[in-house]
Amino acid sequence: MMLPIVMLLKEILGFNDTIYRTVVGLGYMIIYPGLLLVVVIAALMLWAERKIVALVQLRYGPLWVSRRIGGALQGFADLIRFSFQEVIIPRRSDVIPFLLSPGLAILFSMLPLAFIPISPSIHPPVYSDLALLVVIAIISLAPIFIVIMGWASDNKFAFVGSLREALLIVSYEIPLIISIISMAVIYRSLDFYEIVERQYMLPGMILNPFAFIASFIAVLRTTSRFPFEISEAESEIVAGPYTEYSGLMFGLSMGLAYIKLYVYTLILSLVFLGGWLPLQGGEGILLGFLAPSLVVIIKLSLLSLVAVFLRAIYGRYRLDQAVRLGWIYVLGLSIVSLIWSLALVYGGWVRWE
Amino acid sequence: MVASSIAIEEISKELIQTRDLGVTEEGERLVELQIGPTHPGSGHMRIRVWVDGDIIVRCDPDIGFVFRTIEKLSENRIYMKTIPLVERPSLLDTTPMTIGYINALEKLMGIEPPPRAKYLRTMLAELTRIASHLYGVGILSIFLGHSTGFMWGFGDRELFVELANQLSGARITYAYVVPGGVRRDMPQSFPDDVEKALRYMERRLKDWYKIFLNNPVIEDRLREVGVLRKNDAVKLGITGPNLRASGVDFDVRVADPYEAYDELDFMVPVAEEGDAYARTLVRFEEIKQSINIIRDALKKMPSGDIIHPQIARMFNPLMKKIYEETRRVKFPGIFASLKPPKGEATARVEAGRGEALFHIVSDGSPRPYRFRWTTPSYRNVILFKYMIPGHRLADLPAIYGSLDYFPPEADR
Amino acid sequence: MASQQPQASQQRLALGKALEELATRLSEHLKGVATKVEADKRSMVINIEVDRSRILEAAKILSSLGFDHVKSLTGVDYPDKGVIELMVHIGSYSRGLRRIMAILRSKLDRKDPRAPTLTQIWPSSELQEREAWEMFGIVFEGHPDLRRLLLPEEFEGLWPGRKDFEIPTRKAGEVEEPWK
Repeated sequence: MMLPIVMLLKEILGFNDTIYRTVVGLGYMIIYPGLLLVVVIAALMLWAERKIVALVQLRYGPLWVSRRIGGALQGFADLIRFSFQEVIIPRRSDVIPFLLSPGLAILFSMLPLAFIPISPSIHPPVYSDLALLVVIAIISLAPIFIVIMGWASDNKFAFVGSLREALLIVSYEIPLIISIISMAVIYRSLDFYEIVERQYMLPGMILNPFAFIASFIAVLRTTSRFPFEISEAESEIVAGPYTEYSGLMFGLSMGLAYIKLYVYTLILSLVFLGGWLPLQGGEGILLGFLAPSLVVIIKLSLLSLVAVFLRAIYGRYRLDQAVRLGWIYVLGLSIVSLIWSLALVYGGWVRWE
Repeated sequence: MVASSIAIEEISKELIQTRDLGVTEEGERLVELQIGPTHPGSGHMRIRVWVDGDIIVRCDPDIGFVFRTIEKLSENRIYMKTIPLVERPSLLDTTPMTIGYINALEKLMGIEPPPRAKYLRTMLAELTRIASHLYGVGILSIFLGHSTGFMWGFGDRELFVELANQLSGARITYAYVVPGGVRRDMPQSFPDDVEKALRYMERRLKDWYKIFLNNPVIEDRLREVGVLRKNDAVKLGITGPNLRASGVDFDVRVADPYEAYDELDFMVPVAEEGDAYARTLVRFEEIKQSINIIRDALKKMPSGDIIHPQIARMFNPLMKKIYEETRRVKFPGIFASLKPPKGEATARVEAGRGEALFHIVSDGSPRPYRFRWTTPSYRNVILFKYMIPGHRLADLPAIYGSLDYFPPEADR
Repeated sequence: MASQQPQASQQRLALGKALEELATRLSEHLKGVATKVEADKRSMVINIEVDRSRILEAAKILSSLGFDHVKSLTGVDYPDKGVIELMVHIGSYSRGLRRIMAILRSKLDRKDPRAPTLTQIWPSSELQEREAWEMFGIVFEGHPDLRRLLLPEEFEGLWPGRKDFEIPTRKAGEVEEPWK
């Protein structure tokens, strides 16, 4: 499905399909809905978290930076400040992994955006009909770099933090993968376009609520939202794997959690909440691209706000309690969701032409 | 030569990197963590833990980072100047400390404050007890990662700090209690403000139960954690709500009443389990009991003098005029050259965290010969050594917060 | 309120009498061990004076009578008499005895103050003995872990609690560590 303006672009850039595809792909990844949008939404989500939690806790929250809009630019102010701070590298740390791992973690968290469509009219830079599987595979690599971060800093607390992260990765990625695969079983497809289209009657949340709950809890763990903020528990291990980072590296590490939150909630909103439905794709850039993407972004933000609000309610779980929860309850729930999906499909309740 | 020195440097670099995973006297491969003074979860002390995997094998509290030598300082100062010194370490419930010191001094001098002064002292002590327990619960919350409990604890405490401000003129360090009575009378609007604050606190306690005590994550973190059995608590000399949560119903206000406590009607909450959850519950119940005590004290408040007549006799005419018009005590010269008779006196009080002991040895001069002072947190430090081993590393902040241990108070 | 005053003073008289009775009973139990047992009615304490060699015995007897924890353990320095008095406040959590305290006193030689450790009888005295050692130099024989508690390492060999400790004062222009 090509838009007329896109055809115009193709005319202008002329003869070479590859150059055209590269330019559009770069625009997609860097400007919208790629890096720039991710940074903007991460900064706004940071502000929203602090503001909502502050209102529950009888205080104002960020107010100083941009008073008239309630301090909404606080996230950007923090980013600017981090950019100008000195980056201190401990002498006995392993320098190359120390410096590279935050960037690599963000790379592997944002790489899935190349596979995920945000509107029915424009294809993502890499269109594949196994997109769901590829995305889950890539994003499961990101937590490993957090473990490397903790090992590369020469600090006992960072070491303890990365041990915790390693233990928790194993416990919670498996239920996530099983839940997502069980949704793929229902939709009988791994292609995001077909997944969204096949939610026209009921969203995935209602087709398989077990998968929704299990994958939401697993996402909470992966992005270190309360009550699973274990690997960076402040009162026990200072800042976990991120202890020795300062300046822009620290900003990247802190932003990593929100970037992962964006990508995971994007996946969840496409698979469970119906993506860009009820809007169908149309002609023109407005109806065909911007409007459906805004619907997706709104659904994604709702999920993120719920995830972020839990900071005001819960404390932190202890490591062994979280691991027990993952291996018994969340894994059990995801297996139940798989059985449910199989029952729905092979029992004949769900049929696609 | 050069090659061998380089080789030595390489080997020593390797040794330095593996220095932590050596074998200690227990024969295990332990990691020694210093949860030191600049750690967000340690307060003003250093806790050295030896960890085997995730289980703490040994724990050594290293206190003394805020040691202010109050006992030695008081030997060079007149009796009145020790009153502000005594309230500084235990910064949250300052009034019981001053009450204890002044009680010991009054026993030496052989005088007793008038009834109204006793009731005013009691009321302020209970206001600070509520503030201290809210602080303790706030610190426990932030150690568990529950930032709402932290902000609510400090926000609600602000109310009682403001009330104390109205009564005494300062927010935290009041110096309100003087030998022979108190320094100021309560303002006219004070009983109404107190009643409003108490009603607000009762409403808030319901919210606290919903978000903190009945929170499944908090229950998981606190139940069965840091269990202190009854005979261990007695043997180790533990005091305060920690003792009462282990089944011993000892409270100095009931066992050895001072000030107006024997005329007031209240109960002492006791729990049986002895875990961290029981300790937190006991603190919340004590807040409720303190609310009752304050209401009772306001109802039964006698009228009359706020300073002992023997001291009031030494006012000059200007001081007498100020006392009669504004009910404020301007200190007569007797306070500067106060010479209690030779002898010794002991007093004890129930501060927010437990029992504090005061012993003054006087040799007839205006300065104390020896002032001995034991605080409840000082007596509770020993729990770090004996109760923590066997728990997981993540239980350390939970136990620390549930003990309501305040390092400056322990160090004095 | 005025009617409560005679009631209160009557109560106090009764308490004073009970304390004296308790003191006489205690002195019977401690016959031959304590050199002096007397009640202090103002502070509601019973002062028990023992000789240095009898400290452990007296402590065992008191512990068996129901005094189960140490509230405070410290020394009082009397340089003109040449003694450091070890002063132990003992209390009880049992119902009958919780209203009073006993103070176990013993005079130690100031030139070489030694005392037996009380940690075997009352484990609550472990950290307090460390503080008494670092302040006064009282060596507690048999203590499992006698090292400094509150003071930093620079105070090796100095006993700040004693009266002859010169409190360091800083003159104008002086820098750190004036106690060296």
